[in-house]
Amino acid sequence: MAEWHNYYNLLELTQEATLEDIRNRYRYLKNLYGGDSIEIRALGDEFSQELRADYLRRLDEAFEALNALPEKNKAIATLPVKDLDDDLRHWIAQIECFTGASLKGVRERMQVDLKEIFAVTRIQPHFLDDIEQEVFESFSAEVYLRSYLIEYARFFSLDTQRVLGDYLPRYRAGRSDADS
Amino acid sequence: MPEEQSARQTSIWAVGGGKGGTGKSFLTSSMATCLALQGKRTILLDADLGGANLHNFFGLIRPRSSLTDFFEKKVPLQEIAVHTGIANLQLITGSIGSLDSESINHAQKQKLFRHVQALDADMILIDLGAGTHINTLDTFLQADKMIVVTVPEITAIENMYQFIKSVYYRKLKSIFKAYDLNTLVQDTWKNRTAHNIRSLKDLINHLKLGSDQICSIFEREMSGFVVHLILNEVRTPKDILVGENLKRVCMNFFGLRVVYSGYTSYDEAVQKNINNKESFMLFNRLSPVVKEIRQITEHIVTQTPFPTPEELFDGRVA
Repeated sequence: MAEWHNYYNLLELTQEATLEDIRNRYRYLKNLYGGDSIEIRALGDEFSQELRADYLRRLDEAFEALNALPEKNKAIATLPVKDLDDDLRHWIAQIECFTGASLKGVRERMQVDLKEIFAVTRIQPHFLDDIEQEVFESFSAEVYLRSYLIEYARFFSLDTQRVLGDYLPRYRAGRSDADS
Repeated sequence: MPEEQSARQTSIWAVGGGKGGTGKSFLTSSMATCLALQGKRTILLDADLGGANLHNFFGLIRPRSSLTDFFEKKVPLQEIAVHTGIANLQLITGSIGSLDSESINHAQKQKLFRHVQALDADMILIDLGAGTHINTLDTFLQADKMIVVTVPEITAIENMYQFIKSVYYRKLKSIFKAYDLNTLVQDTWKNRTAHNIRSLKDLINHLKLGSDQICSIFEREMSGFVVHLILNEVRTPKDILVGENLKRVCMNFFGLRVVYSGYTSYDEAVQKNINNKESFMLFNRLSPVVKEIRQITEHIVTQTPFPTPEELFDGRVA
């Protein structure tokens, strides 16, 4: 039981929390500590990559454990996204993690061509394709990828912080694997 | 003995936050106005010794006597206090020029605080000004309510973290000094890599694990240690969440209890009122900021957190 207690503690919830509470809180905390909002960047060295990875690992572990609890298994409410029809909003709300593949999924579902994104954002289609295919070596520095992702997310009215929060850790992991 | 009773009930609020220009003076003077209008006898102390300017918020010209007279000519504080034009609200101004927070010594600082505590008032609000000078930190720590003001900008947030860390570390040092354990804290911090201490929170946990005695000292001394956070110049609904995030980050990284007391919206009318020498809380009836400041003041009095709307947490509000 101590284990469960720790999981709830990490998510800053009590045992009465519903599955919806757990999922919302998990997303919120993952967004906060996995992303690079001003609140996090201002910490500087205080929040090293090592600390961040450790925290996110424990957060994932807690979420997976609590998410699997049978008594929590209730339907999840969908969350509102502006300017999108209900079906699409519902579908996007189901996306657990914005990977290259899920970004591509969003784009295809909205029937948008890479060239159309290029026309607005002026990001070369081959870079957009590399984002979707997760060809991480195309982006020599995170800062380029970051700005492309923001443009990409804005184009589809996605939450930029969530996209960055999901995608950038994948990039960092991919890059550090390639380095070692 | 009504006098003694009222003196004992005086509540001292100190407002700091590290960075200049985040609205500390504006919020301190507005909260003081708010409390005075509720009938509480309130004294505003402008302790921004290098750049006192609270008088501007009441359309006053710079008062002739200031804390300089208190320090140099031994004029009693009560005589330095000037009327603000608002019932129940008086102002004690800092000074421009000859005095700054670095030029007053420990004894002077203690004397000032003793005299502040002895003032006959229900509420005393101290505007500390920017920076993390030791005198600023100590005044902050001696207050009944410790309040930090920041804005949702990275520079202000960085300085606020620095300020909170400095305050916290100073508090710890004073605790360990009182219990004669000062060297232990400093040595442990010096050898932090050896003990795998990565943050202030780790340091405390390390010390607490090391001894039950230290653990109980710490629990006792820190039980009432709460910082109130105000987020100023909020421009979007998403900014509101920054206060909530900062609260969590402070708890997670510094092991510090923070209450998010509320936010104020960005409103150009604020600057306009100040420049027009109009007291904002009295003259402005339209700005949402008036209501927000009233709520913040109430939250701080009752030590209740601002209820952050649930829909902000899911990250889908732009």
